[in-house]
Amino acid sequence: MPFRRLILLCSLFLLLAQPAAEVRAELVVVVNARCGVAAMTRNEVINIFFGRNHQYFNSIEAQPVDLPDVHPDRKRFYSLLVGKDLSEVNAYWSRQVFSGRMQPPVKVNSADEVLKWVVSHPGGIGFVDLAKADARVRVVYELTP
Amino acid sequence: MIAKLFRPQAPVSLPGKSLLGVVGAIVLSLASPALAQSASAFSLNGFGTFGLARTTTDDVEFIRDISQARGVGSEWSALIDSVLGLQAAWRVTPQIEAVVQATSRYRYDRTFTPDISWGFVKYNPTPNLSLRAGRLGTEFFMMADSRWVGYSFLTVRPPGDFFWYLPFYSIHGADAAITLPLGESILRAKTFYGHSDGRIPLADQQWDISGSPMVGAFLEYQYGPWQARASYANIHFKNDLPIASVLKKTLGIDLSAQDAAFLTTRDTRTHYYSLGLVYDQGPWQAQLMLNHIEQGSNALQSSDGGYALLGYRIGEVTPYLGYSWVLSKTRGSGPSAITAYVMQDSRSDQQTTFAGMRWDVVRNVALKAQWDAINGDSSSLFPYRQDNRARWNGRMNVFSMTLDFVF
Repeated sequence: MPFRRLILLCSLFLLLAQPAAEVRAELVVVVNARCGVAAMTRNEVINIFFGRNHQYFNSIEAQPVDLPDVHPDRKRFYSLLVGKDLSEVNAYWSRQVFSGRMQPPVKVNSADEVLKWVVSHPGGIGFVDLAKADARVRVVYELTP
Repeated sequence: MIAKLFRPQAPVSLPGKSLLGVVGAIVLSLASPALAQSASAFSLNGFGTFGLARTTTDDVEFIRDISQARGVGSEWSALIDSVLGLQAAWRVTPQIEAVVQATSRYRYDRTFTPDISWGFVKYNPTPNLSLRAGRLGTEFFMMADSRWVGYSFLTVRPPGDFFWYLPFYSIHGADAAITLPLGESILRAKTFYGHSDGRIPLADQQWDISGSPMVGAFLEYQYGPWQARASYANIHFKNDLPIASVLKKTLGIDLSAQDAAFLTTRDTRTHYYSLGLVYDQGPWQAQLMLNHIEQGSNALQSSDGGYALLGYRIGEVTPYLGYSWVLSKTRGSGPSAITAYVMQDSRSDQQTTFAGMRWDVVRNVALKAQWDAINGDSSSLFPYRQDNRARWNGRMNVFSMTLDFVF
């Protein structure tokens, strides 16, 4: 009985927490402005961030960068991109790591570091608030709720 | 109390010592997180499961797959699902990576002796081409190379009716995987070749399958939430099952040369075919897998198996429902009563309905509970250990709870 109540409480908490997240600014996917990619589709973004594909259409190596779980943008990004919870994204990566297939994208601690990574890697790709995206990067995909 | 949970119902050797060693190693590694953080080229990760299971019968023992010598009966036991794994990876250059993984789990020799599950060097000449050589995990079926990473999947353990027959975990060899982006979709192909290095328990003896060549390949297509895979693999057995010594020891019967020749596994080949379809989008997760195993030896029955699984996430909790089945094709009884007895042993004919729940309690920790209702024929003996053929009626319930974690 207390277990059921806990689930109910958790679900309620989640419902209450969601609208708050959507009030925030828009998240966008950015690439290094010199990598030659002008726009990407949702599936192309999924393929890069989940390590299914490691190259852009022009054969340049994609170098994705991620944020840690504690950063609120990470939860928003995966929720908007694939409708998945972070626990599911982490479960996916544990399968890739422990089967020896691949390592997850490098994680940095803040949006500024994401930009720094994207600018300093020829195939850099990351996600930031639209307001953060400057001339050094190109917005290739907008995440819409 | 804890030690008792790790023991099968009959006294066998104690796993405690080796398990302690691995626990100690992990505690040490956790005590010095700076090691993993300081150099980004080096990473240390781990996974584990503490699982409890029990069934509603003592007529057979339930196992996770046929690599396990003993299973669980009607008393709660931590034997079959508990595992601890540690993995170190070193990125030597952007193209070259070295990986080694050690795991401790209940195995063919009835101990938790840690094994090097894999140790290989990976070389990516281009971003979408991966070449590996060393001791490698095998992907005979979809997800077969991450069967012990409980945190990575929904159910308490991979559905048995589909995975029981797969005691192979690694090869000494090489594999190559290539990824071809086709617009928004992805085509991926992988092929592997190597020599098996495992042992499979049979009663209190072991079947040495080391040196048996394995070869296989799969083709995978991925589009958005959909993933489909067709795979094929075979193994060419280099050794005989220890049937003669098991019969002598357990029943006091001598196996005639003629019967031994009839039941030989040496120089026979077993083929594995499988199809997998996965849908993974938003709160939904669905899997459909089918396999066909064509055995080359008279001692082993060919079989068809499969499972369907559906899960829906609500907040941190994901309830799921599944159905799995396996049916083997009998080969008759052979030239004698002895061969008939042995050939019955590889029979399976059963269906399992299972329901459970995964709860992602905190970051990187999941709690799961599952109920399996196995409904089979009394001739279904292959998936079990220590069978009491006279009493076994083919039906049981299995209750399981696991705590899965990664770090």
